[in-house]
Amino acid sequence: MKLKFATALSAAALALLATGCATKNDAKYVDSQGPNTIVSLNSINIQDWNNAADKLVASLLESNVLERAPSLPAVMAVSRIRNNTQQQVDTDALTKKIRVALNKSGKIVTTTTLGADGKVEDAVAADAGAMQSFMAGEKQKTTLPYYTLSGKLLEDRVRSGSTQQTTYTFQLSLTTVKDGLAVWEDETQITKQGQRSSVGW
Amino acid sequence: MKLLLATSAAALALLGSGCATSVNTVSRSEPQATPSYVADQRVITDSSLGRKVAIVSVNEAKVSGDLLKIQVTLENRSTKPQAFTYKFDWIATDGMELSAPTGGWKQIQLEGRETRAVAAVATSPKAVDFRLKLREN
Repeated sequence: MKLKFATALSAAALALLATGCATKNDAKYVDSQGPNTIVSLNSINIQDWNNAADKLVASLLESNVLERAPSLPAVMAVSRIRNNTQQQVDTDALTKKIRVALNKSGKIVTTTTLGADGKVEDAVAADAGAMQSFMAGEKQKTTLPYYTLSGKLLEDRVRSGSTQQTTYTFQLSLTTVKDGLAVWEDETQITKQGQRSSVGW
Repeated sequence: MKLLLATSAAALALLGSGCATSVNTVSRSEPQATPSYVADQRVITDSSLGRKVAIVSVNEAKVSGDLLKIQVTLENRSTKPQAFTYKFDWIATDGMELSAPTGGWKQIQLEGRETRAVAAVATSPKAVDFRLKLREN
């Protein structure tokens, strides 16, 4: 009897040891910039936005075009980023990372009171600026951007047998407002392969 | 009999090598580039990865006036493709690690015997030092 109990106890201990303290299917935190985030074929994942923004920011900084602005930090406005993928994505996932990186570099500040199609990001700041000028009896002073950032997201899907390949292309252009010339342009591609609708790490 | 043995040995060698292919390269015999090399220190905690992927050189440059750019040249020592991830950390003069909005682990695959450089630009002019981390998939 004692032997049976000891055997059962050992088996239970071994099972516990094998499973560790983890329980399956429990939600857990993972590092958003870590190597354990989920990869899916049919969508642009956070690591894709991160990698695309990183490559494009590095390319822009290496080009040394930002140094050509008459004063630093130069003012930049975010123009239209066209989404030509099959997915509904918020392009701020790309542009905000780029804006933050450029802002930290000390080379660029982004205007939030001027936007594509008249849609301003910070309506309160725009209204408060107008109000302030009105109260002071002055014409409203608007800081015009020296640069604008525009771009496009593309998607390409191909299939061979059960293997599917999806390529996302991130294109960006930096234009000088005074002459409308794109002084920097680049694109980066992210390609994923797998079985249909597969996810991985 | 001898022929049979030779054929078997060849077949085994072929099986052992699998589909491994390596990269042939050609470059200028006397390079014109004059890189600014960085004296580095290495900490190997994964000896398996350390044997597969060698760090050939580390060099630095300044871009956009005051931003540090680091390039690390890696070599796949095996004839099989090696996939791994890497990450750059940036450190300020006071020793504090700087947060990078676009940082994170990045995927790379080196073909057999391929040499390739991975590079990153610090997004803050405060960055004076770096740390490159390599991790096998």
